[in-house]
Amino acid sequence: MHDNERRLSDYIDQLNAEKKPKEHEHSAADPELQELFHTVRLVRSLREPAMPERNFPAKLVRTVTDQLVPTKPKKKKRAWMASIVGIAAVLALSLLMHIVSLFDQPNIVKAMEKAFQDVNAYHGFLEIVETNAQGKTTTQAKLEIWADKQGRYYIQELEGSNKGLITVNNGQTKWQIHHSEKQVHRFSAFPDPYRFAFELGNEIKEIKQAVSTKTIGEEKAANRPSWVVEVTPQGGEPYRIWIDKETHLPLQKQYAMHHGIQYKITYTKIEWNDAIPEKLLAYHVPKGFQEINQNPEQIVANIGEVNEIIGFLPDVINQIPAGYVQDRIAIVPDKKLVKIYYRASNKEIVIIQGKATGKWKLAPNAMVGKIHQQTAEIQSPVVEEAGVLGAGGPYAGLTDLHSIRWRQNGFEYAVIGHADLEDLVAFTKELTNGAFEMPAKEEPSSSKPKVNVPVDLEQEKNDQKSVDAGSSPWKLDPVFVAQVFVSLQMSPEGITGDYPIRYEDLRIVQNNGKEAVVEVNADNAPIKRVYLKRLIRQDATGIWTVVGYDPAS
Amino acid sequence: MVHINEDSYVNWIEQLCLSTWESVYRLIYFKVQNREEAEDITQETYVRAIPYLQKNRVPPDKQMAFLKTVALNIIRDRWRQHQRRGTTADLEAIAPKEVASEDPAEWSVQRIAIEKALNQLSKEQRTVIELRIIKGYSVAETARIMNKKETTIRVMQHRALQALNRILHDETK
Repeated sequence: MHDNERRLSDYIDQLNAEKKPKEHEHSAADPELQELFHTVRLVRSLREPAMPERNFPAKLVRTVTDQLVPTKPKKKKRAWMASIVGIAAVLALSLLMHIVSLFDQPNIVKAMEKAFQDVNAYHGFLEIVETNAQGKTTTQAKLEIWADKQGRYYIQELEGSNKGLITVNNGQTKWQIHHSEKQVHRFSAFPDPYRFAFELGNEIKEIKQAVSTKTIGEEKAANRPSWVVEVTPQGGEPYRIWIDKETHLPLQKQYAMHHGIQYKITYTKIEWNDAIPEKLLAYHVPKGFQEINQNPEQIVANIGEVNEIIGFLPDVINQIPAGYVQDRIAIVPDKKLVKIYYRASNKEIVIIQGKATGKWKLAPNAMVGKIHQQTAEIQSPVVEEAGVLGAGGPYAGLTDLHSIRWRQNGFEYAVIGHADLEDLVAFTKELTNGAFEMPAKEEPSSSKPKVNVPVDLEQEKNDQKSVDAGSSPWKLDPVFVAQVFVSLQMSPEGITGDYPIRYEDLRIVQNNGKEAVVEVNADNAPIKRVYLKRLIRQDATGIWTVVGYDPAS
Repeated sequence: MVHINEDSYVNWIEQLCLSTWESVYRLIYFKVQNREEAEDITQETYVRAIPYLQKNRVPPDKQMAFLKTVALNIIRDRWRQHQRRGTTADLEAIAPKEVASEDPAEWSVQRIAIEKALNQLSKEQRTVIELRIIKGYSVAETARIMNKKETTIRVMQHRALQALNRILHDETK
């Protein structure tokens, strides 16, 4: 019996590791055990399948073609047999082409992406060095890092102001072990606003989305020959990155000098692994330490338990979008919210659901989508935590975090995640039976103002620069820009004291991220609708400008 | 058989694989529950199915159903070869015609049956199965979460699966 218990456990472990169990190759002697294996597979079918690596379709085509198109290998054979010298020449040429191609900017990014595809996890030592305007350097911190593709990590600060601090996020929970205070602080695993600097996956993603990349030379970083690439990110200052010539992965990053201080982060040592050691990711409270739970969430085993605790059965999606698996279900008991987490490689999405309370109001900067003629709020990135988002966690202000929020049948829903907006749209469509509509990219014909307002583009460019430098952040809020515009129409001599119309009297009715329409609901206002555009930059950092309006009469 | 030129044959294979692999893979995974084997059987499915599809000029709207049937046959062949008892549970036998359906929503019938069976277990048994099989935790992690010894977890999961197997059998009788 003990042997069967062990074999059953090993079988589960093999499936959990996504490996073919040896029992699928050789029959298990005990029929009862075979039945139990089958039951394991049945239960496991409740999970979403683990999808293959991204290159699987290409590999499939290659394997199938090689086996079914007989002339292909023959051709290859002839070519290979032709001349050893020829092969050497081809290899040398291809190597040269490869090196040359790396200097071609898009290919540097591609090479990095490709190299990172083969990485499952890594272990490294990170050094953060500060240089002041006089050239004096100081080591700020040294960290030991374990990280994997699923976004899990273990970080121990070896030197620096938080020496000894251990921070771990295992995907289920996040915690910090403070040895000096003998405390373990426990947090929600997602969202995670304090991720470590120079996480390779994020770094490569940022470079991929950069405005430009330029190879400016070659230099050793951490004693390894590297290419130096200058990266101009979207809405930020250029920085430099050192890419290892052998591994094609980033080794070092140097930020631009800011207020007389420049930071350089280097992986002084890095190695590639299959996984982070399990014991590092296992949550535990060391003996004699106090646990301080800062996570308002409580994990539940199934949807039925949600009903028992918070009094309603949450909606679940019938078909999880490709590549994702359901990770866990949590509730926030005091807010009566349920959160269902989904995970894909390096991406995480959570669906929050709670009963609709209070008045439905869109975040001012949100794009406006539609669900059955009702508005849906799309924030990309999230800048305001309205409704269930406010009760869900510290979301606002995190880069690369998007959300879609709406109300339906007395409930409020939000889909939020570190993922492409398209992925969030796919989840939202599943939850709304396809009723969700993104705003049209083109200006709808109904959105032509009756009165056009002339625009000074040079002035707008200067205003954008001021906002980039941190001045007049209200220009990023279309409602506020409309309020100022309408107020100035009402008091052309200038505004003293309160605005003649209240912020609450204005409402966004259209916003596709580039153009917006704000409706004015105040009897005394001479304007009914204000039309705005992001003229200089069409992303979350772009200022809004009034381009027209509809008079009230 | 109509002779077609090699390039267009290769293109056709490529197109077929790229447009159908995901559904085929998902079906296979559904049965074997591990990526390594699912990838392997997916490849074998195409190698076996393509010559037939090409020779018999199966129309595109029937290709997916054909690929799925071939995949299920391969799984059944392997099962027969390797296991003494071909039908380990009734669901195995009834699954093919349901699973061969185009719509994965059909799988929900099986899903509901399993969920219902899980709910009939004791809370502790359900937890051990959820942690070990659905969430994929190791025995050590499960032991920590449930505050039990690892050996106890192995015994518990064995008993829980025996109980679940009985419930599933009773329901399908």
